Amino acid sequence: MLRVNTLRVLCRTGTLLQTGWSLKDRQSLSRAVTCALQSLQQQFVPQDRGDKRDVGVRHLCTAQVCLTCWNCQHPLKQKPAFFCESCEVVQPPPEDTSYFSILECDCTFTLDTLKLQKKYLQLQRLLHPDNFSQKSEREQGYSESQSALVNKAYETLLKPLSRGLYMLELQGLNIEEGTDSAVNSELLMELMEINEALDAVETPQEANEIGQDTKGKLADLTEQIDTALNKGELQTAKALLTKMKYFANIEEKVKEKLSSFM
Amino acid sequence: RMSGATLRKCISLLVYRGKLFSPEHSTSCSYHKKVVDHYENPRNVGSLDKNAQNVGTGLVGAPACGDVMKLQIQVDDNGKIVDAKFKTFGCGSAIASSSLATELVKGKSVDEALTIKNTDIAKELCLPPVKLHCSMLAEDAIKAALSDYRLKQDKKEVLGEARA
Repeated sequence: MLRVNTLRVLCRTGTLLQTGWSLKDRQSLSRAVTCALQSLQQQFVPQDRGDKRDVGVRHLCTAQVCLTCWNCQHPLKQKPAFFCESCEVVQPPPEDTSYFSILECDCTFTLDTLKLQKKYLQLQRLLHPDNFSQKSEREQGYSESQSALVNKAYETLLKPLSRGLYMLELQGLNIEEGTDSAVNSELLMELMEINEALDAVETPQEANEIGQDTKGKLADLTEQIDTALNKGELQTAKALLTKMKYFANIEEKVKEKLSSFM
Repeated sequence: RMSGATLRKCISLLVYRGKLFSPEHSTSCSYHKKVVDHYENPRNVGSLDKNAQNVGTGLVGAPACGDVMKLQIQVDDNGKIVDAKFKTFGCGSAIASSSLATELVKGKSVDEALTIKNTDIAKELCLPPVKLHCSMLAEDAIKAALSDYRLKQDKKEVLGEARA
């Protein structure tokens, strides 16, 4: 969905189509403009929304841009709208929609992964490209993108580490590509020791011991991150997620080590 | 000594790609042959006695990818780095960067080693843009080791003066 400010500029200058824009961009633009024109026709109808925004020519920039079905132009009231309520045709993937709303979960760190999986499977049953082999090329394309997006959302939300990092991302916080030295030297020494011990193991039992220990640490961290995110302590959550990343790597190495024994 | 599983993965990656390096294809995920060389034949893997007076230890981590890197230097009485060892747990590029770093510092004076830049390492290994942070990590490891060594020498001087 285009930001409303962009829409305002485009409508003013009248440059609706530029070469070099992808088909997707042009489609979303035409959707947005279609809808904007529709709201123009509605004139000054004060909508009873919580924030009481006016809809009209002068205040076009604050109108909520609603999507319509590309096939029958029926408004898409659901967000995200996978299919049109009226003609039931598949829609292009939603933009600006979080992975949490795609999979109908609350935006919290503690998640019912069973419920997540159920929703994921339910969506894929509807959206998977295999169901669209007899449909138009456009619909096939949309089902591919929708299915891929649902996959991405599921993968991200399934594991605590990626889920936590995504939640930080939603708040505009990212883990930078810098180096961590003096700041966390105790942690780094601990990590070095664990890694060296893992490298030196000679039996699966030894590797398992390290694996169990690491699992315990990860479970602790998960709890702490949940507390931090619930309290809105983003910097604390960020530091904890960084620590989790290091231990998640060790967990991966334990798995590799165990498979090397087989 | 690298684990068999990771080595197998590396080789299967190369076989799949068919080429060892392709500088024109920046989106290719193949490892440059120099990186593979350092990975398969790492130089200077190991540890030095971190409590020794003339040993500097640098320990760094990269939060974004979870890599950990230790680099140690042994300096003689003339301020020349005579030995260097590393241990890195992370991707092939990180291992290669630190391996190369130990080669670069050997034979240099402490001041000369300070001038080693991540760009030298990245260029030598032909690291793709997505792996540039590995060379930065190696440069930071060198600096951390030099800094640790410097701190120890300053302490020694202070103690020496106190006794005099």
